[in-house]
Amino acid sequence: MRAIHIEDLTVAYEENPVLWDIDLDIYKGNITAIVGPNGAGKSTLLKAILDFVKPLSGRISIFDSSLKKNLDKIAYVPQRSNVNWDFPIKVFDVVLMGRYKEIGWFKKPSKIDKDIAFNALKEMGLEKYIDRQINELSGGQKQRVFIARALCQNAELLIMDEPLAGVDQYSEKIIMNKMKELQKQGKTIVCVHHDLNTLKDYFDRVVLINRYLVAHDTTENILNSNHLTKAYQEVGFDETAA
Amino acid sequence: MKLLLSYDFLVVAIATMILAGSSAIIGCFSVYKGQSLIGDSIGHSAYPGIVLAYMITFSRDPFYLMIGAFIFGIIAYAVIQFISNNSKIDLDASLAIVLTGFFGLGIMLKTYVQGNSIYEGAVQSGLKTYIFGSASYIMKSDIYIISILSIFVLSLCLLFYKELVLNIFDREFAKSIGINNILIDIVLLLMMIVMISVGLKMVGAILISSFLVIPCIFANQFSKNIKNVLFIAFLMAIFSSFMGVYLSVVIKGFSTGPSIVVVMSFLTLLSFIFKKLRGKNV
Repeated sequence: MRAIHIEDLTVAYEENPVLWDIDLDIYKGNITAIVGPNGAGKSTLLKAILDFVKPLSGRISIFDSSLKKNLDKIAYVPQRSNVNWDFPIKVFDVVLMGRYKEIGWFKKPSKIDKDIAFNALKEMGLEKYIDRQINELSGGQKQRVFIARALCQNAELLIMDEPLAGVDQYSEKIIMNKMKELQKQGKTIVCVHHDLNTLKDYFDRVVLINRYLVAHDTTENILNSNHLTKAYQEVGFDETAA
Repeated sequence: MKLLLSYDFLVVAIATMILAGSSAIIGCFSVYKGQSLIGDSIGHSAYPGIVLAYMITFSRDPFYLMIGAFIFGIIAYAVIQFISNNSKIDLDASLAIVLTGFFGLGIMLKTYVQGNSIYEGAVQSGLKTYIFGSASYIMKSDIYIISILSIFVLSLCLLFYKELVLNIFDREFAKSIGINNILIDIVLLLMMIVMISVGLKMVGAILISSFLVIPCIFANQFSKNIKNVLFIAFLMAIFSSFMGVYLSVVIKGFSTGPSIVVVMSFLTLLSFIFKKLRGKNV
């Protein structure tokens, strides 16, 4: 069963191709890592899946249907650098954002919404920090707040951009244990990941990209092949050759 | 005490308090979105809209002039966006170009009107007040305009509150749950331009942006929670307006708009000192 189906995807920023002719199926119930060197188009791939960028060509379906029909089944955890940390907001209110889609217009979060948010924070071990301003937390704690927010969305598919970058080991353990737990409940998890050493511990499958799709296989097969060296040594898609 | 109850004082005080209170709320969102200077540019750029509206209608009716200011606010923003999308000029440089260019145009049109015989029949003395603002021209009808537009803008704020917070704090997440960020950008921008257009008559093109920016900076010293920041900014703006109007009535020659801005700036300076001292004691 596939959660995400990508066909013939090409994405370009101002005429420079970032992703070239990607065909990819991401299977349901797996924890999949998207791996590749800097500038390989990892984040762009996530953005294309979420329709944040318009591809030059290609088709993407989520659970064999359109993204729009599945918005409430997806939880996205953005890269921490893309957030406005100066905004005055408490940890608890950030987590409550995970309920906003459910709450709808003009309404306030109910007791149930607040309970869900509190439980999510508790699962991430952050119940002590609910009244802190978000920017007072460490990098790892901030990331756990974002995961808690995603948990509140009760999604089938979690899409995360570098959830473990700059995160302390303690936070990393909490986050990945939770991911394993979600997997057991049948959820699908896709992460852009940078640390090749932890691939084996955390991920079932690896998508290796460097502007084009280098390989997609089980983590074991990827680690035993020469694909990693290929992806990281080869210069990616050459603009001049385009 | 007698002064505080006089009709003129009350009209001016109520008008400025409503204006400052609602501008402070909208301003908080603009400041956290990083648009303080955009507000300043739009404020200055709205001035030629005032003069042009006068030139077209031959009337000083504040409503027409406000529409002129509103249209030019939007044009100025479009020009700022056009420059930053189509050139390598930094945002601050393009803001400087738009601010001075548009304001220069306004002054040019104003002097043209003054020297032109076509406009001799129409009273033009009011045009200058839109540069520095003049509360002494405020009438009861102005209170109605300010109140209606403030209620309109604050209702939008309430309606889009969750979306505004998400849009400013975490734009990508907002998009991922289906929020139309562009729509929210436009709503915030329109609210800002409406408040600027309404406030020009009282506060003037040069100082209007301080109504948007200063209360937020003050409130930011005291709370790290957006709801409290909005509340503190609102109270501070209302208090400053009252004090500013009071000062301008008691001390002859003090004009109202600048007096309010000076009170706001002074309070904000105090808040910095207070925070610094409190930080040392901990």
